[in-house]
Amino acid sequence: MQLAVNMLVLTAIYALIACGYVLIYRVSRVLNLAHGELLMLSAYLLLWTASLFAGHPVLAIAAALGLSLLVGAMVYLFLLRKLTGEMALAAVLTTVALGVLLRGVTVIVWSAQQQYPAVPLGLSNWAFALPGGARISLWAALLVATTLAVYASLFAFLRLGRWGMRMRAAGQNPLLAAQRGINLHAIYALAWSLSTFTGALAGVLMALDSGLGQTMAIVGLKAFPAALVGGLDSLAGALLGSLIVASAEVTLIHYVDPLLSEVIPFLVLIVVLMLRPWGLLGTREELDRV
Amino acid sequence: MSRRPRASGYFRTDYGEDLTLLPTRLARFAVLGALVILLALPLLASPFLIDLAAQVFLAVIGALALMLLTGYAGQVSLGHAGLLAAGAFTVGILFKELKAPVFVTLPAAAAVGALLGVVFGLPSLRVRGLYLAVSTLALNFLVAYLGGEYETRRGFSTGIVVDPPSLAGKAVTDARAWYVILLAAAVATLLLCANLLRARSGRAWAAIRANETVAQTLGIGVASYKLLAFVISSALTAVAGGLFAYYRGFVSVEAFSLFLSIQYVAMIIIGGMGSLAGAILGALFVTLFPYAIEASLAALVSPTAYAGLLFAVNAAAFGAVMILFLLLEPQGLIGLWRRLQSYFLLWPFRHRPVGGARR
Amino acid sequence: MTAPLPAPLLVLDKLEVVYQRAITALEGISLSVAAGQIVGILGSNGAGKSTLLRAISGFHGLDDARITDGSIHFEGQPITHAAPHVSTRAGIVLVPERGKVFANLTVAENLSVPVAPARGRAERRRRESEVYDFFPRLAPLRQRTAGLLSGGERQMLAIAAGLVCQPKLLLVDELSLGLAPVVVADLLQRLVAIRSALSLTLVIVEQNAALTLGVIDHGYVLENGRIVLDGSAARLAEHPDVAEFYLGQSAAGQRRSYREVKQYRRNRRWYG
Repeated sequence: MQLAVNMLVLTAIYALIACGYVLIYRVSRVLNLAHGELLMLSAYLLLWTASLFAGHPVLAIAAALGLSLLVGAMVYLFLLRKLTGEMALAAVLTTVALGVLLRGVTVIVWSAQQQYPAVPLGLSNWAFALPGGARISLWAALLVATTLAVYASLFAFLRLGRWGMRMRAAGQNPLLAAQRGINLHAIYALAWSLSTFTGALAGVLMALDSGLGQTMAIVGLKAFPAALVGGLDSLAGALLGSLIVASAEVTLIHYVDPLLSEVIPFLVLIVVLMLRPWGLLGTREELDRV
Repeated sequence: MSRRPRASGYFRTDYGEDLTLLPTRLARFAVLGALVILLALPLLASPFLIDLAAQVFLAVIGALALMLLTGYAGQVSLGHAGLLAAGAFTVGILFKELKAPVFVTLPAAAAVGALLGVVFGLPSLRVRGLYLAVSTLALNFLVAYLGGEYETRRGFSTGIVVDPPSLAGKAVTDARAWYVILLAAAVATLLLCANLLRARSGRAWAAIRANETVAQTLGIGVASYKLLAFVISSALTAVAGGLFAYYRGFVSVEAFSLFLSIQYVAMIIIGGMGSLAGAILGALFVTLFPYAIEASLAALVSPTAYAGLLFAVNAAAFGAVMILFLLLEPQGLIGLWRRLQSYFLLWPFRHRPVGGARR
Repeated sequence: MTAPLPAPLLVLDKLEVVYQRAITALEGISLSVAAGQIVGILGSNGAGKSTLLRAISGFHGLDDARITDGSIHFEGQPITHAAPHVSTRAGIVLVPERGKVFANLTVAENLSVPVAPARGRAERRRRESEVYDFFPRLAPLRQRTAGLLSGGERQMLAIAAGLVCQPKLLLVDELSLGLAPVVVADLLQRLVAIRSALSLTLVIVEQNAALTLGVIDHGYVLENGRIVLDGSAARLAEHPDVAEFYLGQSAAGQRRSYREVKQYRRNRRWYG
């Protein structure tokens, strides 16, 4: 039973992070390989807002999340926007370089030690028992709930809202979208903001649950195969992919070898891609027009 | 075929002339001069510089291999560190378990590399572009896991110590000897890559990189050439990893992180994609970069202050420089060089005259 | 004393467009379009017609095309380097040749995506339903995915989506491509009707000169990136070069030998 709970929590973590990858890819066709570092940055920013708003945990968390919105928009506006028209690989490598830069900066500013933002915020963590003898911590449960809420809102926004539709349109045919009056740079900046925001939610909740360190970026990287397994432009796929990857990981770590934890997501990815190169629920990329 | 403006006077009249490596007298003199300098260096320079040069040569081998795969064949690979680790561990394991001599370990490393190349090249037949890049990430983690498993199972928790190889009965320990060996290896790799590119394989890769579908319709065996690129590139890289193991005398899984893969990709970006000279320049730049950072940091801040931060500062600076190159000069150092060339060759014009379709 | 002519709606002055910093697609293009006119841009493949329309609408970074010289003025305002969404909001709407609709969205979604100058929801809904009046074929297809429409229906959807943006100037690129003549004739008629109903100005790019000459007021002939002829529709239809090269009628009523054609081309060298 505990295994099932672990799977649920890990699925929620991966899913919450994965939707960030999907948002950016679906809208602007860019792989954001700095997502892990960006969510780590947001968690570190929580440390800072915690000291600013000592004693007001809600305010501190809200401020950190607000900052993450800003950071996402700035990353697009000052970095990725300059690369419109260059090959997609250049944009991806820029995000890789950004990730490296952020790792260095976070260590310089906050040191490489494990930090616990819950402490300055005066928040405690407790585990409560579930039927079957399993236990789940407060923040982990909150994370699961948050993931569900985020997915529900994103589905509603993208499918039903007019601007959600415009974001989808911009992802499919950017030139036509621009010709129909959609300001592409604004849409992309919005996608980046939303993506960084959802990542920040994951980062903040993980930090409050089990502390914050450089390894958080690796969790972000492991969520990437989860997004790809489902299909990089499908939110439902991200959910499904996270479930598959998380289940595989928890099972294999428990029964085979804990050291496998970093490899498993990628092995699952390779297997799935060999069977369906666009992910399980991804839209088949248009044939190259020759 | 060349996009660079060339000084006039060198007209090619047959394919042989088109394919020569050193077409102009200037090129021949330049290469000769470079060789002379490189061979004279160990006699004049300090041990520190010789070690630095040796590191650059090692990096050049890996960079050339990656340039072949990504820059020419167009298959993005983010798993280069995994291949280096595979080569290094092959050497280490064979040495530790079987006391195998260098004539066995290095070819074995190449074989392991080739095998990994096939395994990780197979996805490239189904998966393209960015999806492929992500699956190559798996290589890093896989090899790290296997290496880590070996280290823990056999009790070498800090790493494997490797004795220097012996050639003709004598152990190679002299720094200068290593310099020459690694220089020879780098030059051999360069020649191998240049020849592969001059031959049919090079043309096939160029076609695949430009447009895979079209290449297929032209009858180019896309699958086999892609695999060829992966296999050759991986084998070369694994050999580089093996040489690294011998040079350092030590193999441990921490040395082969994702960051190392990123560094190699940076080498080909900063150097300039699609150019062997770019791979060399990029390898030079990225290898020397940490030393430059360390030197400037030492000049600015007291040693105690930055001791713990050195790696972080390196990472931050490295990320920043990579971003600068990607934003400002995506063609890398070679791009800068070509712009400089164009400027002087076209002067007093600023651009090539834009004559378009005047029929 | 005649009243002074109203200022033209769209003015291009010596426009030059270069692709990938190497290929000149357009050179020295100067033209003007008066409000309410239907202007045609004729020419064979590769003449630069689509490029011209895209230059007016605006290049997005993805094209690697640049306007390197000249200017474009719309309603007196310079819009030379304006991004596509800016010119659309100013009133210039392009119906492109390729990628005309959002293939994965339904017809209704395609019509709700375009951004129109904000004038309230009621106005927006009215506008969207108005296009169904212009193209009744689309009404029963509201929930169909646009990628599954037939060629003619897709073209109708493309024009309808353009109309939702409340254009003052509608640029239509290669209406007839891939469509049956009956469908094309019908579409052109609808376009003319729409022009009158909404007081639009139209610029139509077409390879099919015969069809276009029957509809336009004024035309420009483009060749190798330059304008080689312009005039009213009647003048163009009578011009021997147009008749020869675009309408397929030779002067003597018989087939000419290739040598004669080559000579004729040489005579026209002063064009380009």
